[in-house]
Amino acid sequence: MNKQFDNLFTFSWEDLHEAAINEGLIPVGYTCSYVPPVLLSAELLYPFRVNARNVNGTEIADIYLSQVTCSYTRSILEYAMDDQLDFLQGWVFAAGCDHLRRLYDNLQYLLKPDFCHIIDAPHKSGSDAIAWYEKELRSLTKKLSEHFEIDINTSTIAKKIIEYNTLMKSLKQISDYRKLESPPFTGTEFHKLMTAVWTLPVNTSQKIVNNIKEKLDKRSPPKGFRARVLVISSVIDQHEWIDCIEKVGALVVADRFCTGSIPGIELYPETDNPFNDIASHLLKTNSCPRMMDTFENRIALILKTIQTYHVDGVIIAPMKFCDIWGVETTQLMMSLKQKNIPFLRLEREYGVSGEGQLQTRVQAFLEQMKL
Amino acid sequence: MGLLSSFTDEIVYYKTYVKNYKNIIQMPIRHGPIQTYNNLKKYPWLWQLAKVNRLLDIVTRGRSGNYRKASAAVVEKIVPSLMSLLDNININTDRLVLHEDMVPPEIISAMGLTTWMSELLGILLPMVDSHSVEKYIDIAENAGIPSDVCSLPKTTMGIILNSEVPPVNAILSSNSPCDGGMASYQLIKNKLKIPMFQLDVPYNFYNDNAVEYFTNELKKMISWLEEHTPGKMDWDRLREICEERNRMTEYELELWEIIRRRPAPIAAEAVFLSHLWCFNITPGDPSGTALFKYLVELANENVKKEIAAIPNEKYRAVLWNPPFLHFIDLFSWAEQQYGLSVIIDSMSYNRQPFIDTKSEDSMLKGLAHNIMTGPMARHTRGPAENYFNDMFYMYTYFDLDMILIAGHIGCKNTAALNGILREKCRKKGIPLLIIDYDLSDPRVVTHDGIIQQFDRFMENIMKERRL
Repeated sequence: MNKQFDNLFTFSWEDLHEAAINEGLIPVGYTCSYVPPVLLSAELLYPFRVNARNVNGTEIADIYLSQVTCSYTRSILEYAMDDQLDFLQGWVFAAGCDHLRRLYDNLQYLLKPDFCHIIDAPHKSGSDAIAWYEKELRSLTKKLSEHFEIDINTSTIAKKIIEYNTLMKSLKQISDYRKLESPPFTGTEFHKLMTAVWTLPVNTSQKIVNNIKEKLDKRSPPKGFRARVLVISSVIDQHEWIDCIEKVGALVVADRFCTGSIPGIELYPETDNPFNDIASHLLKTNSCPRMMDTFENRIALILKTIQTYHVDGVIIAPMKFCDIWGVETTQLMMSLKQKNIPFLRLEREYGVSGEGQLQTRVQAFLEQMKL
Repeated sequence: MGLLSSFTDEIVYYKTYVKNYKNIIQMPIRHGPIQTYNNLKKYPWLWQLAKVNRLLDIVTRGRSGNYRKASAAVVEKIVPSLMSLLDNININTDRLVLHEDMVPPEIISAMGLTTWMSELLGILLPMVDSHSVEKYIDIAENAGIPSDVCSLPKTTMGIILNSEVPPVNAILSSNSPCDGGMASYQLIKNKLKIPMFQLDVPYNFYNDNAVEYFTNELKKMISWLEEHTPGKMDWDRLREICEERNRMTEYELELWEIIRRRPAPIAAEAVFLSHLWCFNITPGDPSGTALFKYLVELANENVKKEIAAIPNEKYRAVLWNPPFLHFIDLFSWAEQQYGLSVIIDSMSYNRQPFIDTKSEDSMLKGLAHNIMTGPMARHTRGPAENYFNDMFYMYTYFDLDMILIAGHIGCKNTAALNGILREKCRKKGIPLLIIDYDLSDPRVVTHDGIIQQFDRFMENIMKERRL
């Protein structure tokens, strides 16, 4: 693959993060797409989608969470126990899946963070579920206000939604370049950007996004790719994993995963009832297989993405030990098979490992597609 | 005396044995040879179920007197009610509803519908024959289900993928007890191509909002069933069922009071298998109440005569998590080898067991509360404090000597609490044994492997050798 030398997608995350802290911003960690970052953006708060990028093994976390929970939760626990997440001044969880619930339990037991809250996210998206979720979000807001002594009310949230939507609109414009025959950036670059967006304050992210947006039209597209692929998974916040795939010629043009953009960058409705809107938005747009009544929508979204992004093949990469993605993958495979869409199932761990094997599998997949 | 009691014990066994076969043989008589042939062809697991007297062998092995009678009575209760469930696969099949084990069968029965609990075969078959569900696990894994998913939903999916499910017309499930179980129902729905309703059990249920939310879920389920099946809600019938269930509960609570005594007058399957069947599969059935009444009588009689379930009760344990389905023999083995009684288990233990039957709403609220605070929702999905608080409460309440965890490798929820549990037990000085194994698949850890873990624990921690 040809390398770009303009450093457009290279940011010093550490510096930007440090600058935010020095400005007096309060990073609050969250681990699931059912925690709304807009609520964690109020006043001085800033939402930090927790990752364990540099975790070195999970030996201690394995003792508590066991080796049969997903490596994302184990890595986060290990990273937190290794004091690497001490900068977080609070944690917000969603009862999204078995593993995240138990991460919450273990974190509470082992580290006793000053602020640690879990939202009871329903598994349905109907009106009762939205009402339930709205109450949960209001309760979170109240607790954030009390703990951090800040005033979060309907109008602050409504304003934050507007700021957040502006960022998402800009991101969407960048993301849409991937629908072109030759996008001006790689999937790896796009995911460096996405990781920054999910871990930096909205204003900082907006500046990064604006800078990229301005220069994209003049950027020459990367060359040497043989196929356009869609990656389906849960949490991928290490762009090196995408890079591994791209190194053998598969351009990642679409990302249906929690830390990606499909879904993830949809705009929140801007109305007078933001709590209800956030609740409804998250339950209806998040495409997680934890939801019991959105299977058809999830499949439809994948098929639409394949069409819109001119995808040649799909890589489904569930994380080992994730039951909801494990079972969902089987059904996705059946659906894709019926439609004669080439796919590859790649079970993976959270961290990047076994690059050689990963590349061999992807290479074989591309050859199978005759691309 | 010894000879006479041996003779009486043999009579207990053979009486139940013959009764069970009489019940089994009536099924082909009721349905005729052609239907029976077709059933056996379509549902090969019927052959395994026909060997249900193996379960009688297991639960009576090494047990005598009233304890033997109690254990045999549980199997004697299971067989006819199993046959009646099996009748549903041939009669009024338009009313047959497939339901997950966390969905209250009380409501389905009150609506004049018949039930087929999806997990029934996954639970019962390995108890009868240890290796009987391996085939279904392999089918599910070959279809792409990851091998690390719990083997109970894998068995259920395997049976359905292999088209061996009775002719059900609607599916009821929930988000419990775990992600694997929940996710499996979408696959089941896609395979069967019939409508499905799923109940959403809240995570935090200690508030009125949660009760209201979940009660509303039950109301929606009733409306949905009225729309998608011939069933109509009969509130009087529901009241009868709930009242019968309450009566059964009263006896069960009485039984628990009796088994708190040291030594326990009855234990193990008589306590947990009776609960598993009567409360989860056939609640509201008067024969369940009769069984619990009988168990209380037997236990009281033993107390009066100062007879212990096992002659040398040395240790008393709580069994946490579902029992070792393919190795139920472990309990009688532990009794004989170490004088260890399993007094109670987590699956039987319910904090809010009664249902208020004064109004339609109170019944639904009672059922809602019952499910939310039931063992699987409460411990497996709910916050960790539910798990530990109940466990340590039971340890004290039942005067136990150790905690025995059936560490099913597919149960990630409970595995993720083992680290905390070890530390808590260490602090409290409670001996803890976590047996690594798979719930339904003996190929993962063999029976010998389970016994070895048990032996090492008894030798190294309890400083005990086999009797």
